Amino acid sequence: MSQAALTLEPSPFGIQSKKLAMWLFIMADAATFGAILFGYGYLRVGTPDWSRPFALTPTIVNAAIMTFVLLSSSVTMLLAVAAAQAGRTASGVRWLGVTALLGTLFAGLHLREWFAMFHEGWSVSHNPLNGPVQFGATFFGITGLHLLHVITGVVAILVIAAGFRRGRFTAAHVETTGLYWHFVDLVWMFVFPMVYLMNAR
Amino acid sequence: MTTESASRPTTRTYLVVWVAMLAIVAVEIAVTYAHPSPGRQLAALLSLAVIEAAIALAYFMHLRYERAVLFWSLIPGVVFALLMLDQIWPDALRLITMHHGP
Repeated sequence: MSQAALTLEPSPFGIQSKKLAMWLFIMADAATFGAILFGYGYLRVGTPDWSRPFALTPTIVNAAIMTFVLLSSSVTMLLAVAAAQAGRTASGVRWLGVTALLGTLFAGLHLREWFAMFHEGWSVSHNPLNGPVQFGATFFGITGLHLLHVITGVVAILVIAAGFRRGRFTAAHVETTGLYWHFVDLVWMFVFPMVYLMNAR
Repeated sequence: MTTESASRPTTRTYLVVWVAMLAIVAVEIAVTYAHPSPGRQLAALLSLAVIEAAIALAYFMHLRYERAVLFWSLIPGVVFALLMLDQIWPDALRLITMHHGP
């Protein structure tokens, strides 16, 4: 193979391929969440007796706390990326740990809310208010898909933190994981108003 | 957004953005409990969510500091895909009209 063939063409985007791959995944995932939120909107608009079961306390307050936790975890992830890029490995690992902890707290608050709703009789196929059953299907479908992303993100952060501490992963890996985590936060910025606040009594 | 990668924001910038986003969340809750009509509530909440998402993309995901070609390669396609989904609304409104009558 000639030397010319071995010369790699520089990326027109000026970023590493792993970061570009994450951006492409995020765009595809954004379309997925967009589709599921539009599907929810279709049912919401087309159903006359749609349930609005969420009281300020505990549900809206709980969801607001979850929003605070997730937004804060984005800042701690940014601090992890900044530390990793500055070569401060211990600090980077510490901030990744805080981010994972906040992600776990978000998931815990979410599951606590889910189980309280199960206890009241809500499920994907049952509405205890005798309203449309689609409420439970869309609520648990949308928040469940988001929760799956949060749990996946926490696992990914822990794996990257362990690898970064041992020198197996670089600051670029931390930054790419951060992109995913911020996207999880971004999706919640639509889930909170559309699924919680639009269904507040 | 720049034509070439620029220097990254500082911790202070991140904290200012974090506070701004928390303020938007507070406004969303205030709007909800002002009890506007569902249409106005949806318009207000959706507008605030789009502003929040734009801030997250720009500052948290650093899109503002990447080359412009990255933005133009990614965002318009997703926006177009989401706009295409808007064709479902006339049928949703037809359903609600069927329930309520014209």
